[in-house]
Parts: sequence; C-alpha cells; structure tokens
Amino acid sequence: EYEEKTGRAHRPLSPKQNVRKNLDFEPLSTTALILEDRPANLPAKPAEEAQKHRQQYEEMVVQAKKRELKEAQKRKKQLEERCKLEDSIGNAVLTWNNEILPNWETMCCSRKVRELWWQGIPPSVRGKVWSLAIGNELNITHELYDICLARAKEKWRSLSTGGAEVECEDAGFSAADREASLELIKLDISRTFPNLCIFQQGGPYHDTLHSILGAYTCYRPDVGYVQGMSFIAAVLILNLDTADAFIAFSNLLNKPCQMAFFRVDHGLMLTYFAAFEVFFEENLPKLFAHFKKNNLTPDIYLIDWIFTLYSKSLPLDLACRVWDVFCRDGEEFLFRTALGILKLFEDILTKMDFIHIAQFLTKLPEDLPSEEFFTSIAAIQMQSRNKKWAQVKKMLIFDNR
Amino acid sequence: MAQKAMPGTSPEGIRPTYMYKVVLLGSTSVGKSSLAYRYVKNDFKESLPTVGCSFFTQMLNLEVATVKFEIWDTAGQEKYHSVCHLYYRGAHAALLVYDIAKKETLNRAKLWLRDLEKEFLPDEIVIALVGNKTDLAAEREVTTEEGEEFARTKGLLFMETSAKSNYQVNDIFMAIAQELLQREQAKVSAPSPDGRSTVELGGSGVRTGCC
Repeated sequence: EYEEKTGRAHRPLSPKQNVRKNLDFEPLSTTALILEDRPANLPAKPAEEAQKHRQQYEEMVVQAKKRELKEAQKRKKQLEERCKLEDSIGNAVLTWNNEILPNWETMCCSRKVRELWWQGIPPSVRGKVWSLAIGNELNITHELYDICLARAKEKWRSLSTGGAEVECEDAGFSAADREASLELIKLDISRTFPNLCIFQQGGPYHDTLHSILGAYTCYRPDVGYVQGMSFIAAVLILNLDTADAFIAFSNLLNKPCQMAFFRVDHGLMLTYFAAFEVFFEENLPKLFAHFKKNNLTPDIYLIDWIFTLYSKSLPLDLACRVWDVFCRDGEEFLFRTALGILKLFEDILTKMDFIHIAQFLTKLPEDLPSEEFFTSIAAIQMQSRNKKWAQVKKMLIFDNR
Repeated sequence: MAQKAMPGTSPEGIRPTYMYKVVLLGSTSVGKSSLAYRYVKNDFKESLPTVGCSFFTQMLNLEVATVKFEIWDTAGQEKYHSVCHLYYRGAHAALLVYDIAKKETLNRAKLWLRDLEKEFLPDEIVIALVGNKTDLAAEREVTTEEGEEFARTKGLLFMETSAKSNYQVNDIFMAIAQELLQREQAKVSAPSPDGRSTVELGGSGVRTGCC
C-alpha cells in the first residue's frame, strides 16, 4: 500500500505540465484555473467528456478574464481619482499660496475662495489660513509669548522646589488655584491624543504643548487652564510653529463663544444652548421633539463638542475640516456642525432613549463618512424665521436681561 | 425616594426591573472614568479627560430584581463645578471618588458630600465613599481607617478600590445595588405618601434646564 501511495504522488506531475503547456489562453492571476487530466492510474476520460470539460473550462477562463479586466479598470479608475484628488490638492495649494494668501484682505471673502475653503484647506497651508482667519486682535507678539513662557517656567521651578510664593502681579487668583492648574496641565498633556504618541512624555511635542498651556495661564490668569484646552492647543501645534500657535490659541479663546465656555459662564452658556435649540427645532423638528420628550438637553453633548472644538469627538482629519470652516464662518459653524451630526444620525437617534442617545453622542462612531458628514452639515439652514444666528443669539441675550 | 421602578416589565412577570441613575463625583484624575470603564467593560485604559459628562449603562440580573444602572461620569475639574453640580439632580446613588495617594482629593469628596446633603434628604440617595488607586499603596496618603471613619460618621457606604488592578470595583457597585433594593423593600412595606409615578423617567425627568 505504501508503494502505491508514493508511486501515485509522482506520476500525475507529467500530464499536469502537459496541459499547462498546451494552453494558449492561460488566465493572468495566480488563482488561475487549471484543467487537469485524470491521474494516469485511472482510466482516461472518453473523448466526448474531455471535449465537454475543455469547453466548460474555456468558458470559465473567459469569465475569469472578464472579471479581471473589470477589476483592472476599477483599479485604474481609483488611481485616476486619486491622482485627480492629488492634483486638485496640488492645484489648491498653488491657488492658496500664489493667489489667495498674498491678497488675503481682498480675496478672503470672495465667493470662489469661500467655496474652495469649504472643500477643506490643504494641510500645508492650513496653519497660515487659520492664523489669518483667527487674526490677532490681542496684538500678541512673539516677545510677549517668550515673557509669558519665562514666567510659567519660573512658577514650575518654584513649584518643584516647593519654594516660597512667587510674587507676581496677577494677585487675586489664589496660589493654590494656580498650582492646581499647573499640576493639571501636566496630567492632561499625557492624556491629549494619546494615540498619536507625540504629546506624551518624551514625545516630540510634549514640551511645546506644556509651554503653550503654561504660558496661557500666565497670560490669562483670570481664565487659567480649563480641561479641553489641551486638545485645542494640540491641534494648533500640529499646524503652526510654537509662538504662532500660542497667538492663535489666545485669540481663539478670546472669541465670545469660547470665552463664555472657558470661563464657565453658566448663564451665557445657556443662552448659546437656547439659540442652538432654535435652529435645532427649525432644521430637525422630529428629532427635536424626540429629544424634548426624553429630556435630552443640549449641554449633554454640546459641552464636549464646543469645549474641544470637536477635536476630541471627531476623527482628527474631520475635526480639522470643521476648524477650517469654523475659521471662515465663526461660532455659528460649531452649532451648525452639531446639527449636521444630529441630522446624519437622525434615524438611529429617534429610536434611542435618553441614556443611549447621551452615550452615542458623547462617543461618536469612529468611522464617520467624511463626504456624507459634510453634505449633512451643508443641508443645515442657519436661518430661523428670517433671523440669522447672531440675531437669534442677540435676542436671547436681551431677553435674559 | 425618587426611584423609577417598572415592575412587571421582565418576562417572568414577578421579578421587577429598577432603573437607577448613578453619578460619579470627585476631583480630576482620581479615576472616575476608569472605575466606570472597569465596571462596564472590565478593562483598564488611560482615559481622556472628561469634558462635561460621559455615560455608561450596566444591567445586573439579581435574584430578586433586575437593576439597570445609568452611570453619569462627570468632569472632575473644579472649574466645571457650576456646570456639573446639576448633573446629580435626580440621582439615586452617588460615588464620591478620591485618590488614596492624594490627600486633597478626599477633602474635595467631602465638599461634594456637602453639596449632595443640600440637594437630597438622607433617604433619597445612596452615597458611597470610594478610595480609588489601591495599586498605588506605596504612595498612600489617606489611610483606610481615615476613609472608613469618615464614611461611618456620615452614614456612607465605603470601599477602597483599584480600577487598574480590578480590586473591589464590582463590589462597590453591587453594594450600591443591594442598598438601593433594600430601600425599595422598605418602601413597599411602608409605602410613602407621595407614591411616585412608575412611568416617569425619574433620573432625567427631574432635570431642569441645562445640565
């Protein structure tokens, strides 16, 4: 029996090679179909059957070839699309660099630029555009940053040596408070985008993030460090040099909406939520009613989204595109984005109860489809009974007084 | 007690289902999110700082009842206080979490207790004092006795835990469930006059306005 087995193993080799040689239409892929003759130790196929099998085989090969051709065409198309995308990014970079940025003041509000802006700013010019769009109302210079940073470093030193209180002009803010702030910054840096592994201890941007947050607590002791800030600073660091990131950071936080939130001005936050609800009801009345029924107030999800400007809750590339348009349109875009998210998931959300909605919105799916997401935002109308965001907000602030 | 009991919703018909809102309070980075994560997912990972509030659910099938926990995990930074102190409205239980390796976090937990005492009558809420991070025994600043003693004088449940090494995390939530169920029993034998509606979604229902 043993001999039979070993014998069998050797013999079929030659006919197989034969068949392969005879084929002039071998399929391309490695998963090719191969027509085998019967093993030599079995009686050969009758001619008729062999002919039939050959025919079937040929048909299969033709099918396989067709499939492969189709796939090749698909691949080609994908490649073309990618090239087109790369081209358009390349072109966009040129347009931004050569046309828009040198003529910022005159061009930034033109329709063409606004449209290009909506498509997403190419990463290589993103930082520049953000800086220009955020502006520098506070007139912060690189020197001022250095001064604030030096002061922060002094405080860190005195903290670590446990030395005497550092005298400084920002009295009125308790030393314990400031100490807690500096301590907290240290803690939070390692918890900022931990997956990127660049802000953690020993990572390339650890010190930069530390410096910017520390300098800010010295620049604005009245605001200090508030959790959520580390994410904003981190996103800026990814797109700008340190001092410029600090300038953008301070000016960004100085905007009315950010000031209201980071100072945790509860009354003003409520006004923002109320304005948001006006547009929520207008755009998504069914979902709005469902949320009301479940007592799901906007603070549940908006606090995280607004405080971190979506950088904690959205994938980073999407968050950056939201920032792009936020820089263009201002605070109302943050609320428009929120409505875009709600619209995108409207069907699922209407089937959920309070706790599941809260859970879902505070931990959004990681594979958010970017085009659908922006289409959804685009479909949100920031107009309620002929009133725009700023008007609605103003009215509500007035009412509160 | 502001319980949202829904008796008869279980298929057996006899075992009632109770839904309880549990809120985690305490200083920043004492391990509130990690405790919730350990309890619900039985895992440990470094949590991102909580901004606002995050949410978890857990269901417990006990012999006498099914317990559904709605866990509200709040932001720890003091600056968020004005926003977060409203998150405990309508809670049935609260975990006051401190870090055994940081004395000042126990003081902060005591402040939270004062807040809760203003908002709730003693029989309206089950409060547990939780000394987390027993894995940091070498850096301990608060002795077990100190925590225990404080909890005893205030009539709180007490346990030391470690979300990292999974020490007594289930136990503390189980103790809370047992205590809540016991109070439920006591209520049945001596029905309270207000007889809260069984359909009202207590936890979120009593929340007013923001937060």
